Amino acid sequence: MDTILEIQDLKVYFRTIFGDAKSLDGASLRVYEREVLGIAGESGCGKSTLVEGALKLVKPPGYIHSGKVLYNGRNLLELDDEEFRKIRWKELSYIPQGSMNSLNPVIKIEEQMIDGIISHIDISYPDAKEIALEALSDVGLPSDVAQMFPHELSGGMRQRVCIAMSICLRPKIIFADEPVTALDVVMQKLNLQTIGELKERFGVTVVMVAHDMAWHAEVADRIAIMYAGKIVEIGTTSDIFGKPLHPYTKGLLDAVPSLERRFSKSIPGIAPSPLSWPSGCRFHPRCSYKMGVCEEIDPPLIEIEKDHFVACHIYGGR
Amino acid sequence: MRIFKSSPKFTVGVIIISILIVIALLEPTINNHRLGGHSSTEIGLYETSLPPSKEHPFGTDAYGRDVFSLILTGLKYSLLIGFIAGGLATLIAVVLATTAGYKGGWLDAFITTVSNAILIIPSWPILAIIVLFVRKVDLFFLSLILAFFSWAGSSRQIKPQIASLKERPYVELARVTAFSDIEIMFKEILPNFLPYIFVGFSYAVTGTMMAETALRLVGLGPADIPSLGQILNWALYAGALAQGHYFLVLTPIVILILLFVSINLINVGLDEVYNPRLKQITGV
Amino acid sequence: MENLLELKNVVKIFTRANFAFSREKVIYALNDVSFSMDAEPKVLALVGESGSGKTTICKLILGLEEPTSGEILYKGVPLYRWLKENLKEYRREVQIIFQDPFETFNPFYRVDRILWTVIQKFNLARDNNEAKSKIEEGLEAVGLRAREILGRYPHQLSGGERQRFMLARAYILRPKLLVADEPVSMLDASLRAVFLDHLKEFKRNGISCLYITHDLNTAYYISDYILIIYAGKILERGPVEGVIRNPLHPYTKMLINSIPIPDPNKKWSDKVNIDITQLQKVSGRETVDGCVFYNRCDYAMERCKDNIPPMKRVGEQEVSCFLY
Repeated sequence: MDTILEIQDLKVYFRTIFGDAKSLDGASLRVYEREVLGIAGESGCGKSTLVEGALKLVKPPGYIHSGKVLYNGRNLLELDDEEFRKIRWKELSYIPQGSMNSLNPVIKIEEQMIDGIISHIDISYPDAKEIALEALSDVGLPSDVAQMFPHELSGGMRQRVCIAMSICLRPKIIFADEPVTALDVVMQKLNLQTIGELKERFGVTVVMVAHDMAWHAEVADRIAIMYAGKIVEIGTTSDIFGKPLHPYTKGLLDAVPSLERRFSKSIPGIAPSPLSWPSGCRFHPRCSYKMGVCEEIDPPLIEIEKDHFVACHIYGGR
Repeated sequence: MRIFKSSPKFTVGVIIISILIVIALLEPTINNHRLGGHSSTEIGLYETSLPPSKEHPFGTDAYGRDVFSLILTGLKYSLLIGFIAGGLATLIAVVLATTAGYKGGWLDAFITTVSNAILIIPSWPILAIIVLFVRKVDLFFLSLILAFFSWAGSSRQIKPQIASLKERPYVELARVTAFSDIEIMFKEILPNFLPYIFVGFSYAVTGTMMAETALRLVGLGPADIPSLGQILNWALYAGALAQGHYFLVLTPIVILILLFVSINLINVGLDEVYNPRLKQITGV
Repeated sequence: MENLLELKNVVKIFTRANFAFSREKVIYALNDVSFSMDAEPKVLALVGESGSGKTTICKLILGLEEPTSGEILYKGVPLYRWLKENLKEYRREVQIIFQDPFETFNPFYRVDRILWTVIQKFNLARDNNEAKSKIEEGLEAVGLRAREILGRYPHQLSGGERQRFMLARAYILRPKLLVADEPVSMLDASLRAVFLDHLKEFKRNGISCLYITHDLNTAYYISDYILIIYAGKILERGPVEGVIRNPLHPYTKMLINSIPIPDPNKKWSDKVNIDITQLQKVSGRETVDGCVFYNRCDYAMERCKDNIPPMKRVGEQEVSCFLY
């Protein structure tokens, strides 16, 4: 499969009075065309920061420390704000976390969508309106929604509007951060299925950030597991669930409660702080397979089998 | 202390008003030294209408008073009245608005009606009438009536915010921990509200100062408590502009402007720094 | 022994003024809800989506709101009498864990204050030393280290730490009934089990729990008995294994069907369609006729529209549906 976007060793730090919080500390991955790539990990692992960094949406006190984001042969991080703005929404669109709550409550849905469209491409109002209405129907919303105000819709429907907004200009990649959190379970299924279908219907690539592994099981083709600001494993969904390699991935899968079993094993220890990541492999304080070298050397991400990468000393590594 | 670094407006405002306050605090000392025990309002202490000189940096006025000392006294009283009146107004507003906003019901309706009435009634003519007819208006009385007409505006702004803070989960937690209503109002809600109270206080200070100046400019108000407005009134009444006593007219105006501007700078600076965080912290 | 908690035919109506037409809108947040928890410590899960009325039940039980009609009894005595005559004792015995781990802390104070006020208000210690040791005991019981937690402000703790801190508060209080309103929904999926394990331990220590949630996964993990609520009415109830393995009500089936299973070999087999009635927020209903689930039910029949199905017993479960 062709690579559409590549992130190389991206580092995003946050300035604090205690020093820099290294929330994203060297993440590298490739996004393939027309796939749904899930980014999983617990709170604080840096997954949201990864997306914000790639889209140059990091706000102070955060800043992009180093790294590259290659798209269409260019390093996006080198573009100035004006050039990047042209690409945003048109080619790379973003559904931020909690976006359903950041719709402007006093403006009609239709107007908000049109405003967004017009601010990104040079187009007449009636044309923008047509695009907006088409996007709404693409996600299966009835046309009367356009005339409604956000507060008249339930949370799930508002989130759907955000999904519609993200596909308005038929982008190449959609980044969605926790798109179905805080929704009721039936609404979650509905919206999740829609996100999963975007690939088939519009040929778009989706990068979905979520901590709930079950969602990735449902819609993702490949999953990248993040821990402590780095990517520790990447593989196809069936590989991750069927043959998890990294101890953290195994722990994550065991910890999630499900209807299939009434027990669940939690990962011992607590998540480390980005102000002082542990030495060597960052997971070593909590790892039951820890070896001596783990405390000293941070294992690189290497391909163990086809399309299955892991950063762990158990599997060799330089 | 980070505030000073993050907001130049705040810093400038604080500097200006601090200087003014320090000068006002030093007024007794300075004037004692310069006037040798006499009051700066005493008529005929010096020759009238003298031009600025080393002894009289701003000259003397038509009544033979040293303008520099007079203005220092004026600054002192303007600040005193502003802060006392503003403080009283804020106190009344906070207590009433918190009670109304938290308790709701008839108490709320009653307080709201009263505050609306005060807002609708043209306060300035009534202030004028009171000052005109009351025999002895001392500093405290003046501040009190100024505060009385000033609290309603702040109260109206504070109340809905208290009402929304009431819904916060930590208030519910307090209720479930058998806190009494008063405990909740003062220990849970108000502490989070302090930045707003401070802003309300500073607006009250400028508001009452303005009202007081307006009264003075038409000759109302106790002459033995000469605020800057009073001095301005004397100057205009004695035809200072026509006679070229510019200092007498300009200086009070400039100082008044400095007072207003510095307080507003503090407000704006605070708002800039705190607002995004305020929303997060107080959830308002 | 009498029941610990009993709700009998509780109705809660909210009126919402409709400014445009100056006619009041009547919303039945709860419509004839009845259930009970007996004296033996257990975990009762109340499962429903947002707008189903579960939060309203929470507020009613805690005395933060009053029912429009119906009775709430605690240890056989009506709630309103507890609140009037014996408020402190009721507050001591019936406590809550809120959903939002951030908003329950007053940002102005350090977190210690929450534990100290609880000890002071309910006279749980004779002096400062005893109080301190109780606090440390409470924190340890929920897996928090006192050194790392005390003295901090809320924003310095993580979401998981804050929720566990609330558990420590409950531990120190030792209530008889703990009402937990979506306590883990804002925690990472991997942290949920840790938290819920503590609730299970509380049960072993004699604390019953009313676990309110929309998440069947965690309800299954922790509860003994489950109630499914929708639009202010209880549609199905029964021992948790039975309801999960053998759901009777179409709504229960729909809920179970909507849960994603963390296994790529077991994906959803069907596709959900959007339904116009889901557009608006569901917040109780405006009328009392007919089955509350009529609009969304695949098996809806004519009689479902105008008649409320009575609770029927099917094995160990009870269901309110004309299919039975």
